Amino acid sequence: MSTLAEILSPDFLLRDALVGSVLVGVVCPLVGAYFVLRRMIFLGVALPQLSAAGIAASFVFFQLVVGPHEHGQVSERALAMAGAFVFTLGGLLVLAAFERRGRETVEARIGVTYAVAASLTILFLAADPHGDAQMVNLLKGDILATTSTSLAVLIAVFGAVAAVLFAFRKEFLLVSFDRDLAVVFGKRVGLWDGLLYLLIGVTISLGVMTAGPLVTFGFLVVPPLTARLVTHRMLSFSLVAAALGGACAFGGFYAAYRIDLPLGPAEVALASLLLAVVGAGAAVVRAAGRPA
Amino acid sequence: MGGPLLALGDVSFGYDGRPILQHLTFTIERGEFLALLGPNGAGKTTLLRGLLGLIPVLAGELRRGLDRRAPPPGYVPQRDTLDPIFPLSALEVVLMGTYARLSPLRPVGRRERRRAAECLAQVGLAALAPHPFWSLSGGQKQRVLIARALAAEPELLLLDEPTAGVDPGASAAIMETITRLNRERGLTVVLVTHHLRLLRPVVRSVIWVESGSATKGPPEVMLAPERIADVFGAVAAGG
Repeated sequence: MSTLAEILSPDFLLRDALVGSVLVGVVCPLVGAYFVLRRMIFLGVALPQLSAAGIAASFVFFQLVVGPHEHGQVSERALAMAGAFVFTLGGLLVLAAFERRGRETVEARIGVTYAVAASLTILFLAADPHGDAQMVNLLKGDILATTSTSLAVLIAVFGAVAAVLFAFRKEFLLVSFDRDLAVVFGKRVGLWDGLLYLLIGVTISLGVMTAGPLVTFGFLVVPPLTARLVTHRMLSFSLVAAALGGACAFGGFYAAYRIDLPLGPAEVALASLLLAVVGAGAAVVRAAGRPA
Repeated sequence: MGGPLLALGDVSFGYDGRPILQHLTFTIERGEFLALLGPNGAGKTTLLRGLLGLIPVLAGELRRGLDRRAPPPGYVPQRDTLDPIFPLSALEVVLMGTYARLSPLRPVGRRERRRAAECLAQVGLAALAPHPFWSLSGGQKQRVLIARALAAEPELLLLDEPTAGVDPGASAAIMETITRLNRERGLTVVLVTHHLRLLRPVVRSVIWVESGSATKGPPEVMLAPERIADVFGAVAAGG
C-alpha cells in the first residue's frame, strides 16, 4: 500500500493528528491574512511565544494555588489553554493600545514582547519542578498526540473562528483598510478590532497548544504571503491562503511520515519552499511584463 | 429638511485635548462648492477631519442638518493614506462605500454591486471595475475613491487634496467630475486643494485656514491676488 493511500485510510493510526494538522494549516492563514494586511507580521512571532509563556505560567499558578497537577489529563490541557489564551489576548490588547498612540516604536515593542515572553517561558518552566516532559510536549505543541477529544475541540473552535471571519469579512476589511471611513460610517471600530483580536488570540492559543509556536507562526504568515503574490481580490486572497496552508500541512505530514522527518518543521519548510517558488515565478512574470 | 448642512458655533478642533483650530464660526449650505485653502500646516486637514467627525469638538457646537437616517458624508482621503498591500479590485474598493448602509450580518448583494458599478460609470471608469486598484494610475485611483464616496449616496462630499500628485490632465478630469456632481446632483462639496487654477472657475465659497483659525468668504475676496501671493507666491496668484 502506498504511503498516500495509507494516510488517507480511515483506519490510519495518526488520522486525528493529520486532520488537526490540516485544520491548523487552513485556519491559521485565514487569521494570518489580517496579520499580513495590517502589517502585524512581527506580532506573529511574539504572540505564539506569549502563548507558550501563558501555558507555563498556568502550571506555575495552579501549583502555587492548588498543588501539583496531574499530567496528561484533559484538565491539564484546559488549564494550559486558559493560560495561553489569557497571555495571548492580554499581550495583543496591550500592544494594540500602544499602537494607537503611535507606530514609531512598534517593532521595538514587539521585540521586547518576544524577549520577555521567551524569558518568562523558561523561568516559569524552571519554577515548576513537576512540569517535566509533558509540559515540554505541550509547549512544543505535540500534534502527533492529538486525541479525538482535542480534535473535536479544535474543529469546534476553528470552525467558529472561520465562520465569524467569513460572516464579518466586510467589517474586518473596512476597519483594516480604511479606519477613518469606518468611523465616518458610524461603525464601531473598537468593537470590530476587539473581535478580530479575540479571534487571533483564540487561534494562536489553540494553534500553539496543538502544533507549537513554530508551526502556528509559519502558517499565520507564510501562506498569506504566498497568496498575496497571486491574487488581486480579498476573497480569493483569503481562500487561496487557506488552501495553500491546508495543502502544505497535508504535504508536510506526508513527507514527515514517508521519510521520518519532524512534522512541524517539515510543514513550515514546505510552505516556505512554495513561497520561494511562487515569489520567483512572480518576479519573472513582472520582469517579462516590464517594458525594455 | 432645510437649513445648513453643517453649522459651527465657536468650535475648536484639535488632538489629545490640545486645540489646533479655534473659534470657528461658519455654516456649510446645501449645494455649496467650498474649498479649504491656506498655507501648508495651517490645519486644513484637521478642519476636514473635524467636519467628518474623525476628531472631537473640543469646544463650541457643531450642528449637523442631516436627518438621523440620512447617509453619512462621502469621504475621499488622500490616496497615499491607503496601504497598497490590500489585494483589491477597483470594484471592491467602490463596494466599501455601500457598507455604510449594510448591517453587520447582511452580505453585499446584487443591489450593492449594481450601485458600485453605476458609481464607477459616473466617474468614467466602468471598464476598470475588475482591475487591481493598485495597478491604476494616480488619477484613476482618485476617481475610484470618489466613486466609493458616491456609493454611500451622500448629500455631502468631503475630499482631501484629490488632485495631489496627479498629472494636469487627470487633475482637470477629477475637478470636472466633482464639478459635475455638484451642478447636476446638487451634491455639497468641500475639498482641500492647492490647485487654484482649477479651482477658481468652479468654487462658490472659500474657507481660508491660517494661524489657528478659519474664515469663510466669497472667492473674489478670499482668492484676491495679494492674499494668494502672500502664501503661494506670485505664480499662483497670477494663475
